[in-house]
Amino acid sequence: MNSVLRALANVGEVTVFFADVVRTALTRPRYVGETLRIMWVLVLRCIIPVGLAVAPVGAVIALQGLDIFRLFGLDRMLSSLLGSAIFREYSPALASVMVAAQAGSSIAARIGTMRVRGQIDALAVMSVDPMRYVVVPGVIACAIVTPLLNVLTNILGVASGWLFAVPLGGVDHGAFVEHLAAQITPADLWIGQGKCVLFGTSVGLIAGFLGMRVKGGAEAVGQAANDTVTQTIVMILLVDYVVSMAFLGAGL
Amino acid sequence: MSTVGEFARFAWRSLVCQFTQLPPFETWVRQTYQAGVGSIALLTVLIVFAGLNLSVQSYATFERFGGQDFLGMFAGVGGVRELYPVMAAIVCGARIGANLAAALANMKISEQVEALEVMSVDPMRHLVAPRLWAVVLALPLLCGYANVIGIGASYFGAVHLLGLDAGTFNSQIEQFVRLQDLLVGVGKGLVFGWIVAVIACFHGYRAAKRDGAEGVGIATNRAIVHGAVVCICLNLAMSWVLYG
Repeated sequence: MNSVLRALANVGEVTVFFADVVRTALTRPRYVGETLRIMWVLVLRCIIPVGLAVAPVGAVIALQGLDIFRLFGLDRMLSSLLGSAIFREYSPALASVMVAAQAGSSIAARIGTMRVRGQIDALAVMSVDPMRYVVVPGVIACAIVTPLLNVLTNILGVASGWLFAVPLGGVDHGAFVEHLAAQITPADLWIGQGKCVLFGTSVGLIAGFLGMRVKGGAEAVGQAANDTVTQTIVMILLVDYVVSMAFLGAGL
Repeated sequence: MSTVGEFARFAWRSLVCQFTQLPPFETWVRQTYQAGVGSIALLTVLIVFAGLNLSVQSYATFERFGGQDFLGMFAGVGGVRELYPVMAAIVCGARIGANLAAALANMKISEQVEALEVMSVDPMRHLVAPRLWAVVLALPLLCGYANVIGIGASYFGAVHLLGLDAGTFNSQIEQFVRLQDLLVGVGKGLVFGWIVAVIACFHGYRAAKRDGAEGVGIATNRAIVHGAVVCICLNLAMSWVLYG
């Protein structure tokens, strides 16, 4: 009974926090400079790990897909599988996972450290709303940076897939490009971008929530940073499944 | 560059320590239990959704040219060879690796490691080697478990949610997922486990006292990110060698 109550209390806390973030984000004043600063830091920190994580995936899909498609003599069609897998699924999901690992955990650690050192309370004393100045810029920055990184990883993923399919796998270059252009619709790209906005926002929200909840010392900060990563990964896979199912149902 | 060299030296030394003397049995069992059993719940949730997702996604792709019936083969082969080992490695990095890095960094900044050295106990042998053995044992087991759960989940997704024929799916799996594929998945788990653990111990061990509590945070963060990136890149290399 006690654990049920505690779970319900958690749900309530999360809901209140999210509603608070939305309200704060929609009203003035906005700290645009702080948001831009965080965005720049996030781009610098994430661009290399995200690129390195997604690029090999395109190559692996090409490698394994070629194996399977050869059985039916369909290797010309490989690029349509590669394109839709990269654009719709793997690039958004993996880019967001890496953003969570790199940016989410550092945001949670930063907010948690501020909390432990009493800087959050100091802000509140100076009548600067910590939600407005610390949490909301982080959420907005994540929501904008993730789709931007996704553009890069889309290109990297398809390029590495091309590398393994055309020069190394012996697929015709013209067929590769033609099937890529014919099968991939703008909807595929926009679905990926939309997912990234969704995932990025939730990375920021979870990081902010866990960071603001830190009590105690350095260990709690580390725990919050760690929990951000695992919880975001679970959330991303769960939402990804629901979204894929919904699009399949809608016939997109 | 010097960090890479330092890492190579660290990895070599830990490999030597690992094989010259086995760790005390009890520490080993405790660490393995913590690393393995502690990750099962998280891994189960992730793999179930990854497996369902694999079915749904490949269904959407194969539908474009009417190849839905080959979904079983694609979900089975792609999942067992690539997706589940990598997922297990990322989860392992995010959970086990982060814990290892945090624990070692904490010991380092509170000077417990120096204390061990003073007592002429080799910290590599005493702290690092048992943890490496633990993860190296736990991750292949987790990978095998993930394969089973994952195929089950994609079966459920394909047959019960998407309405494919159960017999077709099963025969595809039987025909195309060979024993070698399962062994490759488990073998990948072994490699990933070792590398994730070495990276985590390296970052934890490198935490300096002057960084204080922040050093612990930095060490965990790097353990997670570097572990994931290295595993994904290594996965490509291994697949290329084995299947290319």
